[in-house]
Amino acid sequence: MNAHSLSLPNDHGHHDSHGDHHGHITLQYQPGLPLSKGKLIMWLFLSTEIMFFAALLGSYVVLRFGAPVWPKPHHVHLSEPIGAFNTFVLICSSVTIVLALEAAKANKASLAKIWMVLTLVLGSLFLGVKAYEYQAKFSHGIYPWSPRSRVFEKPDLYYGSAVRARLGEPAMIDRLKELDDTPEDKLSAEEVSARRRLKQVRQMVTSIDQQPFDLAVVADQVMPLPAEGADAHGGHGPKGLNDIFPWLQLPAVIPGGNMWASTYFLLTGFHAIHVIVGLIVFTILLLYRLGPKRAGMIENAGLYWHFVDLVWIFLFPLLYLF
Amino acid sequence: MSDHSAHSSHGPITRPGDIADHDDADLHHGGEDHGHGGVGKYLLVFLALCGLTTLSFFTYSPYWPWRDEPQVGWAFMMAVSCTKAMLVVLFFMHVFWEANWKYVLTIPAAMMAIFLTIMLVPDVGLRNRMVSQERALHMARPSDVRLLEQAAESKLLSDQAH
Repeated sequence: MNAHSLSLPNDHGHHDSHGDHHGHITLQYQPGLPLSKGKLIMWLFLSTEIMFFAALLGSYVVLRFGAPVWPKPHHVHLSEPIGAFNTFVLICSSVTIVLALEAAKANKASLAKIWMVLTLVLGSLFLGVKAYEYQAKFSHGIYPWSPRSRVFEKPDLYYGSAVRARLGEPAMIDRLKELDDTPEDKLSAEEVSARRRLKQVRQMVTSIDQQPFDLAVVADQVMPLPAEGADAHGGHGPKGLNDIFPWLQLPAVIPGGNMWASTYFLLTGFHAIHVIVGLIVFTILLLYRLGPKRAGMIENAGLYWHFVDLVWIFLFPLLYLF
Repeated sequence: MSDHSAHSSHGPITRPGDIADHDDADLHHGGEDHGHGGVGKYLLVFLALCGLTTLSFFTYSPYWPWRDEPQVGWAFMMAVSCTKAMLVVLFFMHVFWEANWKYVLTIPAAMMAIFLTIMLVPDVGLRNRMVSQERALHMARPSDVRLLEQAAESKLLSDQAH
C-alpha cells in the first residue's frame, strides 16, 4: 500500500485499477504534475542542463576573475560585432520556433513547416559563423590543446627556445633559405620589410645574451597584441610575421591566453553541441506533418531551443564584452 | 477548459483511463486556453530582446561613459542578460502562463547554480592569492602585458633603415 492507492475509493486493495471494470466509477489519484509527461521530462532535463551550464559558466567566471592576467577580447582575436550578430541570429531563431508552435496549434501545418525550416536555417547560420570564428583562432595558433597550441604565457626563456626550435626545424631551414634567396623585386614591400625583421628575430633568439625585453620584442614581431578596436579578423590591425608569412607558424605570446582558450572552447563547444542536437531534432520534426497533433513535440523542441538561446544570452557578454 | 469537461479536467482526480489515453497534444490544450500566445506579443518580446542586445553591445562602443571602470559595464551587462533571460523564459518558454510547478523545477536549479559558483570561489577563484615561487616565476602577470606593450611602442626593429 502506498499513498497512491490510499486515496482511492472502491479500490479494494487492487493496485492496478486499470483492469477493474465492475460498473461503478473508479477514481484514481493522479500523482503527477498538471502537464504532459513529455513536457515534464523536458523540464526535468532542462533543470539538469541549467546546473550543467551553471557549472561551466560559474567556473569560467571564477577562473577569469581569479587569474592575474586575462586577455582582452581583441588580444585573442574575438570580434564583438560578430558575437552580437550571432546573438541576433539565435534570438530570431527563438522567435521562429515559437511561431512554428503557434502555427501548428492553429492547424496551419505548412506555415509551421516554413517557420521550422527558418529555425533550422538560422541555427545553421549560427554554427557557420561560429566555425568562421573558430577558424580565426586556429589560424592564430590558439587551440585548446597542447601540441597544436602555439600560445605562450609570457616572453621568457621558454618562449625564446620554442621560437628557436621552430626556426631550427629542417623543413623550416629550407623554407627560410628559399625566402632569403628570393630577389627583392619578387616580394611586396611588406614582405621585404618582414623578411628584414625576421632576420633580426632569428638573430635575437639565437643570441646568448637574451634580455626579457628582447624576447618581448620578438613576441611583438611574431604576433602583436592587437590594440582595442582593431579588426579581429585580420583586417586593419598590426600585422605580425605569422600573418605575413603564414607558413612560419611561430609560437606567440598571449598572457593568460591558454586558460582563456580552454574556457572559451569548452563553453562555446558545449553550446555548439547543443545547437547541433537542436538542429537534428528540427530535421526529424520536419519529416512529420506539423499539425496540432505534433504541437507537443514542437513545444518540447522549442523549450530546448530557447534554453540554448538562453545560454548564449549569458555567454555573449561574458566572453565577448567582459 | 470547459470543452474538456467531458473527460474531466486536469485536476488531481481523473478517471483511470485518462492518463493512459491522453496524448501529449491533448494535455497541451490545457495550456492553450489561457488566452496567451498572440503573435504580436512574441514580436514585442523579440523587439525588446533586440533592444537589450544593442544595449549590452553599447558597452563596447566608444560612447560608453564608464570605460575606465569595467565593473560598471559588467554589472550593467549582467542586468541586461538577466532581463533577456527572464523575457525568454517567461514568454517564449511559456513559463508566465504555467501553473505553480514551475517554481518546483526552476528555483532549486537556480539555487544550485548560484551555490555551485560561490563554492568554487575559495579553491578556484582565490587560487592565485598564495602561489609557490616557482609558479609565480612561470605564470603570466600584468607586468608581462606591460612589457609587450613597451616592446610594441619601442618599434625597435621597425624603425631601422634598410
